[in-house]
Amino acid sequence: DTWRYAFEEALDEVQGVYAQKFKEEVEANSDHEVQLFPFGTLGESDNIMEQAQSGILQFVNQSPGFTGALIPEAQVFFVPYLLPEDQDQLVSFFRNSETITDIFPELYAQQGLELLKMYPEGEVMLTTKAPVETPEDLSNVKVRVMTNPLLVESYRAFGATPTPLAWGEVYGGLQTGIIDGQENPAFFIESTRMYEVTDHITRLGHNNFTTALMANQEFFEGLDEADQQVIQAAADAAFDHIIEYQQGLTETALETIMEAKPDMTVTTLTEEQRAPFRETAADVEATFLEIGGPRAQEVLDQMKADLEAAAS
Amino acid sequence: MTAAILGTMIVLLLLGFPMMVPLIIGSMVGFVGLFGGLGQLETLVQQVVAGIQPSSLIAVPMFIFAAEIMTRGQSAERLINLVMAFLGHIKGGLAISTAGACTMFGAVSGSTQATVVAVGGPLRPRLLKAGYSDRFTLALIINASDIAFLIPPSIGMIIYGVVSGTSISELFLAGIGPGLLILLLFSIYSYIYAVRHNVPTEPAATWPERFRAMRRAIWPLGFPAIIIGGIYGGIFSPTEAAAACVLYAMLLEMVIFREVTPRQLYATAKSTGLITAVVFILVGAGAAFSYVISFAQIPQEILGGIGIDAMGPYGVLFTISIAFFIGCMFVDPIVVILILVPIFAPVVQATGLDPVLVGTIVTLQVAIGSATPPFGCDIFTAIAVFRRPYWEVIRGTPPFIIILLSVSVALIFFPQIALFLRDLAISG
Amino acid sequence: MTRDVDPGGPGPHDAPPNTTTVDAEILAAAEATQDQDDIDDGLYESGLPGPLGLIDKVIARMEAFALAFGVLAMAAMTVANVVGRFVFGQSLYFAEEVNQGLIVLITFAGISYAARHGRHIRMSAITDALPFRARKAMMVMISTVTAVLLLALSWYALSYVMTTAGRGRVLPALSIPQWWVLVWVPAGLFLTGLQYALTALKNLTDPEIWLSTATRDGYDLPHKDSAP
Ligand code: NA
Ligand code: NA
Repeated sequence: DTWRYAFEEALDEVQGVYAQKFKEEVEANSDHEVQLFPFGTLGESDNIMEQAQSGILQFVNQSPGFTGALIPEAQVFFVPYLLPEDQDQLVSFFRNSETITDIFPELYAQQGLELLKMYPEGEVMLTTKAPVETPEDLSNVKVRVMTNPLLVESYRAFGATPTPLAWGEVYGGLQTGIIDGQENPAFFIESTRMYEVTDHITRLGHNNFTTALMANQEFFEGLDEADQQVIQAAADAAFDHIIEYQQGLTETALETIMEAKPDMTVTTLTEEQRAPFRETAADVEATFLEIGGPRAQEVLDQMKADLEAAAS
Repeated sequence: MTAAILGTMIVLLLLGFPMMVPLIIGSMVGFVGLFGGLGQLETLVQQVVAGIQPSSLIAVPMFIFAAEIMTRGQSAERLINLVMAFLGHIKGGLAISTAGACTMFGAVSGSTQATVVAVGGPLRPRLLKAGYSDRFTLALIINASDIAFLIPPSIGMIIYGVVSGTSISELFLAGIGPGLLILLLFSIYSYIYAVRHNVPTEPAATWPERFRAMRRAIWPLGFPAIIIGGIYGGIFSPTEAAAACVLYAMLLEMVIFREVTPRQLYATAKSTGLITAVVFILVGAGAAFSYVISFAQIPQEILGGIGIDAMGPYGVLFTISIAFFIGCMFVDPIVVILILVPIFAPVVQATGLDPVLVGTIVTLQVAIGSATPPFGCDIFTAIAVFRRPYWEVIRGTPPFIIILLSVSVALIFFPQIALFLRDLAISG
Repeated sequence: MTRDVDPGGPGPHDAPPNTTTVDAEILAAAEATQDQDDIDDGLYESGLPGPLGLIDKVIARMEAFALAFGVLAMAAMTVANVVGRFVFGQSLYFAEEVNQGLIVLITFAGISYAARHGRHIRMSAITDALPFRARKAMMVMISTVTAVLLLALSWYALSYVMTTAGRGRVLPALSIPQWWVLVWVPAGLFLTGLQYALTALKNLTDPEIWLSTATRDGYDLPHKDSAP
């Protein structure tokens, strides 16, 4: 059969690399063909999600940040300073987390979706026009965020002016000063040329962009066991591939940026400098518990337990 | 399959169906073909709705609203009079003023058809009285309106920007160069026409009259300041600039000129909503159709067939130009942008062409096509507004179309005509 | 785009070169085309009889209000967002979602309103050239096919709204159910389909040719801005 798989990024960005590996694995181990639809070809993020729910698409890659509109608990990934910065801990968390292996699959299943994999895309970095070291430096700085209440809350707690803006206007908005900054993983800052219109990259260490691959559940359950295993194995293989691919991806992206724009600065905040930012996390957690749906508390608690396990 | 769908759509269009019908039927047939039945038509509806939701599209009703308020009030007329006071007396001056007035009004209006009405309405009798032939006058009006489509704001550029994911602010800047170049070339042609046909020169306005015209036009000149200054001065996004224009137009016409009453404002809002709806249902239906196109991977099929991969950037730009020009000779420009932009998107990306340059060329081409027989929409606007027969409206157009097409060729070989302002803004 | 225009009228005119004379008739017509063409909702006549007609008139008024309200609210929302950002240092994080809701309202209230008044963009150049009887037959055919298509689509739109409601998707910033902004879609498509059905009926029962129940073909003043 031909299986259709849509994702939110371009073919050469992290989700695209993951998708290509998945396609390669499936096609190598079965008679099925996987057709890939990168960002924009079948609509916005929530459009492709609905198409996966209605069975037009067999697979969809959507970040929990967007899934939050459907599964409020998924917004937990926007709580700052929750995910560890250490890469090994992070990977161990994504491999073993009970939140990901037990709770989220149930929540996704209620929406007719089979959660196949959650994986990290890279450390989120803030790019701005003026250097940032303290929350005071963010005062009156208009930081573009996705339209998501938790993200708005995070940046408000950091002291900035969160400004939701359509992605298409971000480059122009930075160029002209409608906004003063935005956040994204390094590879995305590089591929979308965000460094051209900002001067400073700050690593607050507050988050790692998380995303997820899922299948239409009816489709998945209608497959024989062999096919299901092919899919699971392909999702796992793509996970390993993406983790390996990400080793050094951030560094390469930052190097490319520095080559293109030598006077760009990249500042990694020290633990002390991070402390005042980290203190605001409690407020955002409280907001998450308010708007994160019926199982918010359970998700947050389990997630913290998983993270502790990953750290030990 | 593709050919059958496209054929059906063109036939329905020519038979006089509302334009949304061929688009919806085309998408429906596509959905049924792709998914083997009616089961997935919900996704068609989803795509129609998704097609009208990008927040940048809000700028379209806002710019229409601002221009409608101004046309109803005094601003449009004051801008026209300003141009006339300075250019009216030179050889071919009235015709040059018409092109100039289209440029001025273009800084408010985002559409060619609104410009045909707002500028063509008051100026056509004056041109006729001055001794310009009707066919020259009509051709001048429908073609000079293209300048308004290139000078920001431009509805074509907004929709191109939304469909292709290109920055609308950058597109706006890139339209100014070609817009002014067309103004220059039309002025030269008007001058030559006036000399050859010995059109008498108008009396010159006196300096006091000119000052008066300037003083009267000061307020309306705030619009370009809001759009250009506001967007590039870091105050507004294009959408917000559009809303600021609405606020400014209301301030001018309701408070300062006291020309528009609240009741008229309501009527204007209603008519803006109506225009928005008839355009946006096409945008939505077009989005559903372009979904079918990308789902069925049709661009690869068509473009592979003509061997576009081997063409190189010039070949691609020429192919794009020709496709959009021909498309707009038959169909509404917005529909053409909606259908063709996704088809060409992969090849534009693969060739590494600047999407802002492509957007400028596309905008120019659809503007030209909209005044080109047989079915350019500006022709029908002119027929409708000026109540002149079809043949009379199109007879004078060839010289103008040749000028416009040469600007378009110039853009392909000298992209800096469009891009220098944008590059200036980025480096500055 | 085209509205229907009398293709007759004065024949092709060309001012002779080297003169300033101008056809007085053309000039007079040129000076007379400065029209105001607002739709007066008070004068609107429904295509339905009796109490149904009254309901239809009320719906027409509601559509007109939705159009004007939608545009004004959208302007207010966008301006408020700018003011908020500059004066109070706070963006209205929900502005974009409200505007997206309004655009759906405007579009789907508007297509029905446009159908009532024969304002949908179409290319009538070829049908205009046909003789009366053929034009009338075409109009019946066009209205019928359009009605069937839109009524069918309204059914799928309804089913889409129900599906969305069942999934419980909310608008991320406003946290209200997404289907609230979608209900206009099936409603608008249904009412538009109904208008085309009534137009077909009107053409079958009345000797004239009707573009919509309220607009006679060729009589309505062409509208200046049926499209950009
Ligand atoms: Na313009
Ligand atoms: Na034109």
